[in-house]
Amino acid sequence: MKSRSDAVGVVLLLVALLLLPLVLPVWVTGTAVYATIYAIAAIGLSLLMGLAGQVSLGHAAFFAVGAYTQGILVTRTAVPGLLAALIAVALAMLAALLVGLPLLRLRGHYLALATLGLGIILTVVAIETPFLGATSGIFGIDKPEFGGRRYDSPAEYLWLLTPVVILAIVGARNLVQSRVGRALGAVNDSEVAAETLGVDTFRLRLQVFVLSAGYAGVAGVFFAHWLAVVNPNSANFALSVEFLLMAVLGGLGTVWGAVVGGFGVEFLDEGLREVVPLVVPGATGEVQLIGFGIVLTLVMIFLPGGLHQAFRALTARRAPTEATEEPAAPDPGEGPLLAREGRPEPGTVLLSVRGLTKHYGGVTAVDGVDLDVAAGEIVALIGPNGAGKTTCFNMVSGVVEPSAGTVEVAGTRIDGRKPHVFAAARATRTFQNLQVFGSATVLGNVMVGRHLRSRVGLLRSMLGFAARREEREIVAAAREVIDLVGLTADADRPAADLPFGRQRLMEVARALAVEPDLLLLDEPMAGLSGAERRDLARLLRRLRAGGMGIVLVEHDVEAVLALADRVAVLDDGVRIALGTPQEIRDDPAVVAAYLGVDDDDPEAEQAVQALAEVTHDER
Amino acid sequence: MFGSAKRLAALLAAGALLAAGCAEEQPAAGGQGGEAEAGPFKIGAVLDITGAGASLGVPERDTLTLLTEELNAQGGIDGRQVEMIIEDNASTEDGAARAATKLITEDQVDILLGASRTGPSLAMRPIAESTPIPMISLAANAAIVNGSQWVFKTAQNDSVVIENIVEDAASKGYKTLALARDASGFGEGVRELFDEIGGPKGVSVIAVESFAPDATDFTAQMVNVRNANADAVVIWGIPPAAGLAQKAYVQLGVGKPVYQSHGIGNQVFLDTAAEAADGLVAPLGRLVVADQLPEDDPQKKVITDFIAAYRGEYDAAPSTFAGHAYDGFQLAVDALRNAGTEPEAVRSYLEGIDDFVGVSGTFSMSPEDHSGLTADDLVLVTVAGGKFQLVP
Amino acid sequence: MSDFLQFVVAGLSAGAVYALVAMGFVAIFSVSGVINLAQGEFAAIAGLSALSFTDAGVPLPVAMLLALLVVAVVAVLMQRLAIAPVRRMTTLVSIILTLGVSTALKALLLLIYGPQGRGLAPLPGSDLVIGGVSVRAQELWILGITAVVAVAVAVFYDRTVLGKALRACAEQPVAARLVGISPKAAATVAFAVAGLLGAVAGVLASPIQLTQWDSGLLLGLKGFVAATLGGLVSIRGAVLGGLVLGVLESLTAGYVDSGYRDAVAFVLLIVVLVARPGGVFGRHAEARV
Repeated sequence: MKSRSDAVGVVLLLVALLLLPLVLPVWVTGTAVYATIYAIAAIGLSLLMGLAGQVSLGHAAFFAVGAYTQGILVTRTAVPGLLAALIAVALAMLAALLVGLPLLRLRGHYLALATLGLGIILTVVAIETPFLGATSGIFGIDKPEFGGRRYDSPAEYLWLLTPVVILAIVGARNLVQSRVGRALGAVNDSEVAAETLGVDTFRLRLQVFVLSAGYAGVAGVFFAHWLAVVNPNSANFALSVEFLLMAVLGGLGTVWGAVVGGFGVEFLDEGLREVVPLVVPGATGEVQLIGFGIVLTLVMIFLPGGLHQAFRALTARRAPTEATEEPAAPDPGEGPLLAREGRPEPGTVLLSVRGLTKHYGGVTAVDGVDLDVAAGEIVALIGPNGAGKTTCFNMVSGVVEPSAGTVEVAGTRIDGRKPHVFAAARATRTFQNLQVFGSATVLGNVMVGRHLRSRVGLLRSMLGFAARREEREIVAAAREVIDLVGLTADADRPAADLPFGRQRLMEVARALAVEPDLLLLDEPMAGLSGAERRDLARLLRRLRAGGMGIVLVEHDVEAVLALADRVAVLDDGVRIALGTPQEIRDDPAVVAAYLGVDDDDPEAEQAVQALAEVTHDER
Repeated sequence: MFGSAKRLAALLAAGALLAAGCAEEQPAAGGQGGEAEAGPFKIGAVLDITGAGASLGVPERDTLTLLTEELNAQGGIDGRQVEMIIEDNASTEDGAARAATKLITEDQVDILLGASRTGPSLAMRPIAESTPIPMISLAANAAIVNGSQWVFKTAQNDSVVIENIVEDAASKGYKTLALARDASGFGEGVRELFDEIGGPKGVSVIAVESFAPDATDFTAQMVNVRNANADAVVIWGIPPAAGLAQKAYVQLGVGKPVYQSHGIGNQVFLDTAAEAADGLVAPLGRLVVADQLPEDDPQKKVITDFIAAYRGEYDAAPSTFAGHAYDGFQLAVDALRNAGTEPEAVRSYLEGIDDFVGVSGTFSMSPEDHSGLTADDLVLVTVAGGKFQLVP
Repeated sequence: MSDFLQFVVAGLSAGAVYALVAMGFVAIFSVSGVINLAQGEFAAIAGLSALSFTDAGVPLPVAMLLALLVVAVVAVLMQRLAIAPVRRMTTLVSIILTLGVSTALKALLLLIYGPQGRGLAPLPGSDLVIGGVSVRAQELWILGITAVVAVAVAVFYDRTVLGKALRACAEQPVAARLVGISPKAAATVAFAVAGLLGAVAGVLASPIQLTQWDSGLLLGLKGFVAATLGGLVSIRGAVLGGLVLGVLESLTAGYVDSGYRDAVAFVLLIVVLVARPGGVFGRHAEARV
């Protein structure tokens, strides 16, 4: 737990759950029991939606797996309740693992569809299986007993549930604010950027999905004991929709929102059943659905962030973010930077590209490019627009799969694999089209860069205290690189508020936070002021001195030729030249390549001019 | 609904309280009992008034309301009024459990009625047993009462229906049956009962097909039933599925005698199946053929009076479900009148019920039998010209 | 053999209804990337409103046409009131949003028509028995009308200016604007088309399957599975997906276990999503980065 408001919330909830049963009518307490049980499932769904950016339309399936398992174990075997609960939750998580393993690799809405199917399949299977009690289901499940005490009445059961729901909330809140939560938040802002910082999207999403199924399983266990009956209805679509409504109403991905949503929906349900028949005489059937449908629709249209968004909008006015003035001057030193122990000696080949080729339909964007980059050198990749520079970067960093050819970083094959493999080989990149994590501050952005340099996983994240020391280290390291690029004063501003140029510097800082041996920068100078360009160039030299290998794509040919040790020139996807800046200047093919392009291209003209001027000066 | 304004107020209060996240002292909004012993008898009913079971729960609610008014107008039970508190379970198990808990702890009712269907009734059973409080379910499945001390029911057991079918089949020399059954709770365990009851009489089920209660295409089931080439066919379902299955049975030319279950005793079935229904045989309660009963039938008066009263109030014929509610109410009132409100006394009185004439049949309970109806409480009915007719 | 043919006939007529619903999904998804989970409700509204019209004494064919009109209006209103106002529409948002609309529509039907299912009168014609296979007249109507509608829709998208513009909208909004159709107008037309398709399914299926307030749920989900089998962007794929799904369901019910009938579609869905996310019958859909 990090924020004070969380602590306040927990205390308030604790007091409410413990004291309200004493003063409220029993049926209200009874409804609160269901609201609490469903809220646990909704928190899980909320994590899935908020963190993994995925939705489950069949979350009741996991709820049912938990409830059925618990029901069967306690009524038919001698397994003690607590152990049964562990098995039940584990099975719910296993089911999610099996579904998520193939489906979460795919982009888009597939998980939603598959879980929807899963819920209906489970309902049918439960109805058709005598072992599962067919339509009657499993009945005669006793109320749980602990310490010689049976939790029979709504009030007692609510007290039994209280520590569970509090733990569920605290765990979820810790997770959201942890290394894992931060990484997944980044994935939702820009999957490709997060992955090039080492975030294994698939793995984390799968973990969160399995965790959310576990939450549903826990809810199922408590549901089974409280209701004493589990039947196929507990897997049905209507219940899944109710969970979804709870998560959406409170605010996608907000833990507290799910809790508020759980209570809101349950009491809305009760209230609508009373009110609708008064408004429409003779109304029978699931009349409360009209309210559910309308609320769901209105929330999605007007309040996609749910109640959480409304709450934030109300409180935001009180704390305006102060804009900073000029950026503080970056570290004025000249010495080597970010050297690290164990880094390959300067001159050791870090990146080895062979025969790299990419076809798009009938077009060959990159054709048989070879390139080696060693530690302690800056290599520039230049060429006219559309020459295939960014495509090369995308293939080298694992963002795009090559049609042919190989990419190796420090002996690891990258081609055909994911960007996080590239990052794991101590290499990372920035983007020509900025990939800012818009929902985080500058510090938050850069902290994602520390993903691979920290280790706390899902479980320890949820415990909170276990991750505290590492969090402090992450913050310290992140602030260090922020200082290096001169964004100290902006560190706590929302990244989205920064001007273009400073967002670019932030991306550089984010990449540096990875402590890479190999750094790919895609047009890092674009949008920077003259002073900022000089500072960045100085920074890159110092990094080189520290032993880092740097590849940059740049349109500013003047800057490139002044900075790079070697220059590779691409034209029409083919590497037409490779050599020192001097050799490149002297290469008539390079000038021709730039001259050959459309005369109207101002950048090409500039480049030709730069080549010519420099050549002239040097001579 | 009864006391809905009060509940609503409490609901809003609770909502406001929770939203504010504070726990100020708040006077309890719900009624806290407090009536003296001399107050009214309290009967609590949990019915499927909304949701999937609404076609059962609504006539049941109407029946209970009607009967309570009638009884109180006549002076109640020995001068004490009867308060009927009806809760909706929305056709869900959790709704039933919630409502039962509320009736027991908050309204402190003397006896529980409900629920309308098997699932919600099973959810109420453990609550009634652990309190303990006597409960009379209006649903059919024998699992509701099997092995229970405290739970009774008024709808016929499936076994009673099956006895009738098997006996008729055996008398006509049918040896083999093909069964197409509802895949939901209504058709559950039917095959096993046919084996158990039909076996000794030489009648066996040789093919079983199932259909979802909301199924619309019965081609597969009826083709397989046709291929089974059994001596007779049993369709076991509730309308509209039972009616659609009956239609498919005719369309696909199964061409064997057909039995339907006691689930078809209402107008919806006749409307759905239309002329395809002609000639089927089904064991139904006497309610649907009241006008054709002989004058000396012991149930004739009870049933015709009930139909007249129900028609007078609601301008419609009562369904068999209304009949189950009628029986539940009369049993509860009889027990309260004779045994008072002490749960154990009520329970043992109900177990001793003997020759109690109701709408669904004549009840004779025992500690082993908490259902109390036998095969004689059903009559074989056929359909001709869109109307139920007693089989002569 | 005659059993097999009987199952196939039943499967084809059920599948044709799925195909109509599936085409509705494709009509909307291919233009606006919205997965419209209220597609099944279009069918239910059509069936129930046609029943209202015949109850009022309107002749059956007129009642059916009026029902189509009603649903087209509902669909356009839905697009205008619920879909258009959302600024950041993603597929995921569309799923949740249209789920809300579908829930509200269902409940509205329940309030207006009550819980009881009813069937529209069948179209004229007498049932046939061909080689031991019984075919209902209504089944022939379903297959015939579906075929005509499917061809008409395919021609609309392939040959007409408006149809081509709609398709262009999905692939190249700027180009579409040049042709003279705004994405907004295109979305409206797409919803109207989807509404009409769903409504045709609704009035055709009603005599056999009955219509009630919630009959859109399963019909919509299965139509969606059919569309997914076809890759979600192909009209031909959707038709094929619907027919295959209908026949597979019928064969499963006939030869395996009738209880598992409703699971067939969703098992198929998961298998297809895992094995061929681009759909079985559609072109392979490129993942958009």
